[in-house]
Amino acid sequence: MSVPQAIFWVMAVLAVLGGLGVVASRQPIRSVLSLVAVMLSLSVIFLELSAQFVFAVQVIVYAGAVMVLFLFVVALLGPMRERPTTHLRFQWGLSILVAVVFGGFVYALLQGVGFRAPEANVAIDTLGTVEQIGTGLFTTYLYPFELTSILLLVAAVGAIYLSRGGRTASEVHRREEEEDRSA
Amino acid sequence: MPDYGQIQVGSGTLDARLVLGLAVVLFVLGAVGVLIRRNPIVILVCIELMLNAANLTLIMFAAQLHNLEGQLFTLMTMTVAAAEAVVGLAILVDIFRVRDVDDVDQLSELRG
Repeated sequence: MSVPQAIFWVMAVLAVLGGLGVVASRQPIRSVLSLVAVMLSLSVIFLELSAQFVFAVQVIVYAGAVMVLFLFVVALLGPMRERPTTHLRFQWGLSILVAVVFGGFVYALLQGVGFRAPEANVAIDTLGTVEQIGTGLFTTYLYPFELTSILLLVAAVGAIYLSRGGRTASEVHRREEEEDRSA
Repeated sequence: MPDYGQIQVGSGTLDARLVLGLAVVLFVLGAVGVLIRRNPIVILVCIELMLNAANLTLIMFAAQLHNLEGQLFTLMTMTVAAAEAVVGLAILVDIFRVRDVDDVDQLSELRG
């Protein structure tokens, strides 16, 4: 077994253990921290697959920013434990069915799968560098890139509106003034 | 006919089927988590797990085909995932402001 394969196996085992932790943890904070472990081990596999820039984005934005947001919300809402429930027990059987069917489907797919030949004129050594990603994002894929920025803007505005409890800024301001006066 | 499923990684190679298998395992774990867990935060976390598994397949095919588009699309997916997490968590915080929910089945007001 070569070194890249050994690294892949270690990271794959870590990712699957983390995934089990996400699903099986009783406390939400352990689920979130397990997901951070999954993301970090996946980022190493991204690096092996010559995706340097995506590796950096995965560590900084995903494992860094998005997961901190999750941790922040878990800390804000306090500890929650799941109680055993009597209804919807059939979802356990359903989930096992989904797992078996999906796994068997993909196993059958992998038995006869043939891979297309890679593009000959592109060297894998220079694939995924910041230069290539930047050229791709700002030339061919400029419009999708700009659309994702608009999506982020819409999400930010929506999140601010929701976290105000559906009130506008002037309403929040007026209520704060009334509370100041009554205090 | 050569086996194009072997991705060149540094000095060695990596079988694309192994990476696909890992992605499948992670995706199924996420799907099972969405089905059996009842805490809304954990359900959001499981959705992120499934998105990560999808990202892994995109990156793998980008390396296998020597084609950058998979990596560019992964960046878009990450943006969408971030937006989804932000809006989902904001909705959750807004719900928790009104009452405590430890089971998504308690949130059934929108049922027709």
